[in-house]
Amino acid sequence: MTVTHSAPEIATSQSGPPSPRAGRRTSVWSGLWPLAVGIALAAVLHFVLPRLIGQYYSRIVMDIGIAMIMAVSLNIVNGMTGQFSIGHAGFMTLGGYAAALLTYYGSLSIWGTSLRHGGFLGVGEWMFAVSCLVGGLVAAGAGYVVGLPSLRLRGDYLAIVTLGFGEILRVVLQQTGKVIDDAEALKAAKWSQFFPPPVGGAVGFDGVPKYTDLFWVYTFVTITVVVAYRLKHSSLGRAMISIREDEIASQAMGVNIARNKVLAFVLAAFFAGAAGGLFAHEAGVILSPKDAGFQRSFDYVIMTVLGGRGSITGVMLAAVILTALPEMLRDFEQYRLIMYALLLIIMMLVRPQGLFGIHEVWQLWPGRGPRTAKKKT
Amino acid sequence: MARPRSSNCEEEDLMSANPSFPNTGTPSAQVESGKPLLLVDQIGIAFGGLKAVQGFSLNLPAGALYGLIGPNGAGKTTVFNLLTGVYQPDSGEMRLESRSLMGLKPHRIAAAGIARTFQNIRLFPGLSVLDNVRLAGQLRSSHGLFATLLRTPAHQAEEESIRNQALELLALFDLQDRANEPADSLAYGHQRHLEIVRALATGPKVLLLDEPAAGMNSQEKVELAQSIRKIRDRFHVSILLIEHDMGLVMEICERIVVLDHGVIISEGTPAMIQNDPKVIAAYLGTASEAV
Amino acid sequence: MADLVQTLLTALAIGSLYALIALGYTMVYGILKFINFAHSDIVVLGAWISYALAIKLLPMLGLNPHDAETAPPLWVGAAILLAAMLLCGLLGFAIERFAYKPLRRAPRLNVLITAIGVSLLLQNVGQLNYVFGASPQKMPALLPNIDLLRLSLPGGDGYREVVIGLVDVMIFSTSAVLMLVLEYLVYRTKLGTAMRAVSFSTDNASLMGIPVDRVVSFTFVLGSMLAAAAGFLYVMKYPGVNQPAHSIWVLLGLKAFVAAVIGGIGNVRGAVLGGFVIAFVEQFGAFYISSNYRDVYVFALLIIILLVRPTGLLGSPVREKV
Repeated sequence: MTVTHSAPEIATSQSGPPSPRAGRRTSVWSGLWPLAVGIALAAVLHFVLPRLIGQYYSRIVMDIGIAMIMAVSLNIVNGMTGQFSIGHAGFMTLGGYAAALLTYYGSLSIWGTSLRHGGFLGVGEWMFAVSCLVGGLVAAGAGYVVGLPSLRLRGDYLAIVTLGFGEILRVVLQQTGKVIDDAEALKAAKWSQFFPPPVGGAVGFDGVPKYTDLFWVYTFVTITVVVAYRLKHSSLGRAMISIREDEIASQAMGVNIARNKVLAFVLAAFFAGAAGGLFAHEAGVILSPKDAGFQRSFDYVIMTVLGGRGSITGVMLAAVILTALPEMLRDFEQYRLIMYALLLIIMMLVRPQGLFGIHEVWQLWPGRGPRTAKKKT
Repeated sequence: MARPRSSNCEEEDLMSANPSFPNTGTPSAQVESGKPLLLVDQIGIAFGGLKAVQGFSLNLPAGALYGLIGPNGAGKTTVFNLLTGVYQPDSGEMRLESRSLMGLKPHRIAAAGIARTFQNIRLFPGLSVLDNVRLAGQLRSSHGLFATLLRTPAHQAEEESIRNQALELLALFDLQDRANEPADSLAYGHQRHLEIVRALATGPKVLLLDEPAAGMNSQEKVELAQSIRKIRDRFHVSILLIEHDMGLVMEICERIVVLDHGVIISEGTPAMIQNDPKVIAAYLGTASEAV
Repeated sequence: MADLVQTLLTALAIGSLYALIALGYTMVYGILKFINFAHSDIVVLGAWISYALAIKLLPMLGLNPHDAETAPPLWVGAAILLAAMLLCGLLGFAIERFAYKPLRRAPRLNVLITAIGVSLLLQNVGQLNYVFGASPQKMPALLPNIDLLRLSLPGGDGYREVVIGLVDVMIFSTSAVLMLVLEYLVYRTKLGTAMRAVSFSTDNASLMGIPVDRVVSFTFVLGSMLAAAAGFLYVMKYPGVNQPAHSIWVLLGLKAFVAAVIGGIGNVRGAVLGGFVIAFVEQFGAFYISSNYRDVYVFALLIIILLVRPTGLLGSPVREKV
């Protein structure tokens, strides 16, 4: 903004001596250390956990990580900005397909097979990591397109548009072509075979190389959480929260609500897309169009509602509980969604702000963080 | 339907003669010469068949403190909504320092330098007192996505200065000690104060106050009157305020515009307004009004 | 020509189904300003109740429910339709009473989440083995498979037959009767006036002595009954009854909601208009472009309408009070 400030008091405070707080932590390291610590922890997890708890439970921990990325990113839209997206699995599936398309056909054309792995942090894994990021970018593009109508729509219409997006994506993915099986066929393939992309149609994308491990999952968890946390505690996040609280007042205070809503959508879709990349390359998973449907989306909506709108640790905890519990209660599979449904209804009747409201877990102990408001969501 | 607007005839002529309305100089130059800061010409809006505001004109010089009064439903808040872009005027023209405000979105008008408070308090209830002010204060700083995510030193310094400014402004109404409490935990009067602080934090040239004294007792009103004057002098803002408390309006406003049924029925100094039969009729009703 | 007429006839039958469902969405939205996500599940329930009743009733009359050739007398179909409507009306009343009423003053988002919860609950309770089960069933034929009219019209290389089946005519006429009844109720009776008053302003209506709670309950009952009728007619047309949580139902509900939005949500006549518009776009798109993407056309239309005319075809603009 080029408008000059007309208040001398404020102007002098800008040029005045920096306060002690500002003098603290100003190196590049201050921006990066949480990431470094998180990635180091992910590496520890990767090498230690399978030996401690075995493959089966490690796999559940991996699923929890992916659910965390989904729930925390969805919370940027639903919790912080106060919009209501119920098509998050659509972004995830789109990103997953994009990433899998790259690694599968990349592996086929470079190494002639999709089975090669190349070891921890080998070339294959880097290709996989980059593919996940590309999947995130593709999903972010879709997030931009889906977010645009949100500028003109009130919350509940937006819910329909996002739900429609997931369902439409499912229908479109079902129309895709058969997967090209081997390197020979790939070389012989005509260009027309790539439109629509050969990702398996209704039966799903089989044969995707299995790169996903605890290290990569928790590296992406770290990135997602750090981004969400920094967003929440910055001007940008404050602008998003103000939109949730009161749109009219928000724009009267100079917040460009259109820009912020779309930004929230794009960011959330990016991480969902990256999570989709992780999901697509997980052992035992065959990515299929039905993953884009509403059922999977609802899982993530429930995590954000249960965890608390805007509470990052709250939704992470919800992701842990709601991913681990069904694994423990496999025999009760048909009651799982009934339980979820009752949980949603009861939460709205009894504690609509979620378990943690807008607070982080550590703010619940007495004497920490801002005082809790009596009642207000 | 008389609209005494003798004071801004000249400017209007100038405007109609030259649509681009030459820039009259820097804000500080305007403060000295008392040239118009906010110039509103014949704006109006209709909701369906209801003409909520018609032909509203106003010439608000730099550093002025004007009042906008009228009976309930006269269209006062609608005027504020028009000035801040919540509603788009059907007709007319509004300019802030020669820059047209027509067609601008509310956030662009806030950036241009008009800030407001709301009659029915619209704080961000879930945000802390400090964050309510910080949100408004960040209007004039850039906050890019990547600087935010990487927490660059420049970004941190900026956040720090926004925070310091916010605390400084909160001190105006002795709210700095309650900075970390949720905004909706404040008492009603303090919430009204916080609304003023929040509007000020956007660094406005024009401040629109919508019934700032509503719900306050007489002692609080006296203090509020002093505060409003103080704010005008300290921050060099022009203030237009809607208020039902005639004592307060008559005491602090230099000029008063009276609105009834969406049209200006009188304008002038407090003394003129108090003796204008049309104003008295609008408030109390007369035989001719009833017909 | 033959293709055109045939597509037109299908669109009319499907359109009246969409319209019936859309009416429920639009009435609830008009009054409580939220999307009743569970509405499409009432449709599903209507379909499954019809199926369950038919399976039980037909053997009692000495008919084989799996015999597609012989149909029972007409009154059996009418009785099943009425019973399904009554049961769903009751359910609609209960849902409103226990899930939505306590949230009358809560933020709209909370009500929306509750509605999603109710929707999930209905789907998954319906799928339990001792309720309807999780596998698709075949609806017994309740109407004789008669072609009322066969027309030879020019089409393709020569002449082609256009068939008007009894089922299509029944769907269209039943829907039309129900919609006319509703139109009368909403615009010609005291109760309808009360409904419109509540939709205009709940607070003012209650100040005027209108029993708001009763009007809201009535709206839910009415909407649920129409939904049940739509569910019944849907399985008459498409006898393959999918399990309650099948995505085909979600799409059906979504399209009906789209119809309500396109017509102007909150507007009863708009919902009917929207239902037919959607059906025409879908059927003609499916026939003349590609049937694989029939759902995509509907949503493309929704996005276009929302961007060009966010209040829908017959909706009036609303302003938020500041």
